[in-house]
Amino acid sequence: MSGEEEENAAELKIGDEFLKAKCLMNCEVSLILDHKYEQLQQSSDDPMNQVSQVFEKSLQYVKRFSRYKNPDAARQVREILARYQLAEFELCVLGNLCPETVEEAIAMVPSIKVDIFFFSFV
Amino acid sequence: MFFHIVLERNMQLHPRYFGRNLRDNLVAKLMKDVEGTCSGRHGFVVAVTGIENVGKGLIRDGTGFVTFPVKYQCVVFRPFKGEILEAVVTMVNKMGFFAEAGPVQIFVSNHLIPDDMEFQSGDMPNYTTSDGSVKIQKDSEVRLKIIGTRVDATEIFCIGTIKDDFLGVINDPVAI
Repeated sequence: MSGEEEENAAELKIGDEFLKAKCLMNCEVSLILDHKYEQLQQSSDDPMNQVSQVFEKSLQYVKRFSRYKNPDAARQVREILARYQLAEFELCVLGNLCPETVEEAIAMVPSIKVDIFFFSFV
Repeated sequence: MFFHIVLERNMQLHPRYFGRNLRDNLVAKLMKDVEGTCSGRHGFVVAVTGIENVGKGLIRDGTGFVTFPVKYQCVVFRPFKGEILEAVVTMVNKMGFFAEAGPVQIFVSNHLIPDDMEFQSGDMPNYTTSDGSVKIQKDSEVRLKIIGTRVDATEIFCIGTIKDDFLGVINDPVAI
């Protein structure tokens, strides 16, 4: 339990399991959930009955907050952000929120402050 | 934040499901059991995306049930304290407002709403700045920071703030 009390995404303290895990941006989740929904539609007449409320809410949410409607754009964004030494979590927060200035980016992902050295050369 | 992780679970299967479709039955039961559930450690399991491995089944003593250890990949949603994300406002009252980000509900107390925003009651209760330029009401999109999470038996509940820099109502994002 003590691990959870120290948890703080602003300092990238999210636990080893999630630090090493694959993080997904909203647009990427949208593609996965759409695909799954299509699979369900093919195998049964009424897919809406089969999905949980969690699935439905998540699907609505990622569709509404996807910044990139085009899967190619999403891939490009990930490619570009992956060039910097960012953690997966940081990469996805930036991809999801699209900060317009450096100040905003640091406010959204305070843990990148240590990487500001890289950003200043972009 | 959404993650794609591998989880493991021991599935118990009744002998009536043994036979040619054993694996299909196992996978179907797994999805039914696990999708939509929530744990404090991994958050909400939104969808199972694939089965990585099904171990050898062990027959339980005394019953005919067999336990299979199953490793599966899934999409989970796990909110973190200190995380900043976007949410949809679902209810506004004088104590603050409730917002939803996917499966998780977040409450923002009026103490954590900027001082220049005041509660206006009425048909569409809302928080508005004194000059009326910014309004938070049902269905508004806001960017907030999670400052605390509480784990229940079946769900995670969060407390948030919009008092920091760059938080608050979002203007329409430009879709690329």
